[in-house]
Amino acid sequence: MRKYFEKLAQIDRRIIYLILFLTVLLPYLFKISLPMKPLPEVVQAYKEIDQLPPGSVVMISIDYDAASMPEVQPMLYAILRHCFSKNLKVVMLGHWPLGIPLGVTALNEVAKEYHKKYGVDYVFLGFRPGLAAVIINMGKEIRSVFAEDYWGTPLDSLPMMRNVHTYDDIAVIVGLEAGSVGDAWVQYAQARYNAKIILGGTAVVAPDWYPYLQSHQIVGLIGGLRGAADYENLVHHKALAYYGMTPQAAVHILIVIFIILGNLGYIALRRRK
Amino acid sequence: MAQVFWTWVAAFLTLAIFSFLYKDNPFYKFAEHIYVGSSAAFWLVYLWYFDIKPKLIDAWRMNTGLEKYILIIPAILSVFILLRFIRPIAWISRWAIAFTVGMAAGLGITANLQGFLVPQIQATFLPVWVPSHNFWHSLGLSVNNWILVIGTVVTIFYFYFSKEHKGTLGALSRAGIVFIMIAFGASFGYTVMARISLLIGRVYFLIHNWLHIV
Amino acid sequence: MRREVPIAITFFTGVLLVVAFFIPHEPFGSLEQRFNDWYIIVSGFAMILGLDSLLLHHWNKVSRRSQDWFHSLSLILAFFITLFWGFYSGIHTGNFLSAQSTFRKYFYLYVFVPLQATMFSLLAFFIASAAYRAFRADRFEATLLLFSAGIVMLGRVPMGNQVAPWIIGFVLLLFAFLLYSDGRKEVDSLRRALKFGGAILSLLLIYPLAWFFLKYTAATAGWIMNIPQLAAKRGIFIGIALGGIAMSLRIILGIEKTYLR
Repeated sequence: MRKYFEKLAQIDRRIIYLILFLTVLLPYLFKISLPMKPLPEVVQAYKEIDQLPPGSVVMISIDYDAASMPEVQPMLYAILRHCFSKNLKVVMLGHWPLGIPLGVTALNEVAKEYHKKYGVDYVFLGFRPGLAAVIINMGKEIRSVFAEDYWGTPLDSLPMMRNVHTYDDIAVIVGLEAGSVGDAWVQYAQARYNAKIILGGTAVVAPDWYPYLQSHQIVGLIGGLRGAADYENLVHHKALAYYGMTPQAAVHILIVIFIILGNLGYIALRRRK
Repeated sequence: MAQVFWTWVAAFLTLAIFSFLYKDNPFYKFAEHIYVGSSAAFWLVYLWYFDIKPKLIDAWRMNTGLEKYILIIPAILSVFILLRFIRPIAWISRWAIAFTVGMAAGLGITANLQGFLVPQIQATFLPVWVPSHNFWHSLGLSVNNWILVIGTVVTIFYFYFSKEHKGTLGALSRAGIVFIMIAFGASFGYTVMARISLLIGRVYFLIHNWLHIV
Repeated sequence: MRREVPIAITFFTGVLLVVAFFIPHEPFGSLEQRFNDWYIIVSGFAMILGLDSLLLHHWNKVSRRSQDWFHSLSLILAFFITLFWGFYSGIHTGNFLSAQSTFRKYFYLYVFVPLQATMFSLLAFFIASAAYRAFRADRFEATLLLFSAGIVMLGRVPMGNQVAPWIIGFVLLLFAFLLYSDGRKEVDSLRRALKFGGAILSLLLIYPLAWFFLKYTAATAGWIMNIPQLAAKRGIFIGIALGGIAMSLRIILGIEKTYLR
């Protein structure tokens, strides 16, 4: 028995890697999907967007890149589908330059799906360096930061932007985050200009936003693949995140078992000493 | 056809990086160096398309009078930053860096004060008793409020280093560590969740986009 | 000149922003806006600092034919290919990330994205291996951390409620076994009785705890995130915010000068 535990403690890391890989792969191959009830903080975000009157402007900020794409990109798709299906208008920009193309790819794709017209239903502003300065100056006049959109068209030539000047003209800002940009949205746009903010992002940064949620500095929180899956569920368009939750669940169980087994081996060895 | 070719390129690069899990090897090294090299170039492309072109060149063309000529100041500061690349006069770049540091410091004070401290402290003043339709529900909500307030306060005490953690302060900071460990555990659980999701994304790419199994 | 001017610039800029915040009227309001605009322009250039040393480092490796020089060469090639492709697509289609741009269609989506995404997905393997090898519940704090992590991990995924009771049950059974086998070796009768008692208590706890987690694992995870986790994070961030303000003041007043190095 003890020998067995000692062997267990010295198992090659590559075997662990293989087990992990198979645990992710198998649920996909057998197409298992499991039901979930959406988390209240995601429902709150969903409701905030859902109750907006048609024609309201939603600003979406791409503050992540390919390193966190599997978690955050599904959120973007789900939120875009929600906005376009409710006839809301979308202004997109971003603070993480390497992720900007992910944003524009999703925007073009979903807009096409819903037959939306550029400049009338959605606009892509692009990126400017200087995070805090960008957020503050947009609160005074968006044109002072983005005189023209991403394609070089002056903002006043775009019908939907004619009456959009500051955060007062934007119903809600959705920050999709993989780092600390979300804090900047809250600490500048919300604190100075009273903008309404929903944060969605990787599971690494999401726990840090619960204090903002409780203090009502944000009006919704979508965290990690689970959050994305919940949102997909709410907009009735189950996709990558939702089906990803089965391997996710399998691996979480595996990791808990790993922790217990690792400790078992450790206890066995320590007791012998 | 092009799509198929590029999907194979992507699959090759994905597997090249995964090969590191077996052991360090030339394929991994190759992929890693390509990643570093191309991401460095990205910044230059972005600098042109999202900064120099719209904010300096287009702005210079579109504006007149003071608004036009005042652009010379940030242009000079930007050139100063680049002087860092030229050793003998690299010190001039400090002027521009001093400007960015001053900006960051000034903005940081207001953000922390107005954007964090005031609203967060305000939100910690919670009712001691939450009235509700039944007693047990009220009790539950109220106890949560107490835990939240006590947890916040004892955590702050844990990070108070100006006095030795003995006596009352010691007890408070020991209570603080309980909350901190629960929070770190939760963050750790969420971090696991995030990392696994990234792997799920890559596995899905391999079996869906590349191999078309699912 | 080399030290005084930068300190003066930092002081002036920092003070102006703080004053503009408290007195948002003219001329401070528009000055702040203008400074922000300049900051947007200048900070873009700060993004590329370090580029020279990266390229120089690898160029030296190539020219000296030192170990792995081939990889350094591929780094430099990747740099220039990305650069030229990006600008070429930009000139060709008007914008380097436009729908027709081959740079976005092929290079970004099929070279850059897989590289970056896979690089970070390696962390999944490392964290799994660490879970097995490094996370030891050997002290109270560590046990608490792992317990909270376990509940959150199981509570945030489907099936968590169904699986948690089995895991809790197994751990308690194991705990009972360990206490029992320890107790058998104990010579002191009081300590032996205590350990046997602990073993029996562990066994008795299996049913109620398994029942609790069958019903409330997900709810407990939600509670951890919204109450104790939130409280500790708030405490920590209040500390960080105070530290940030102190640091900003030190920089503005010229006490902290490390950025001048």
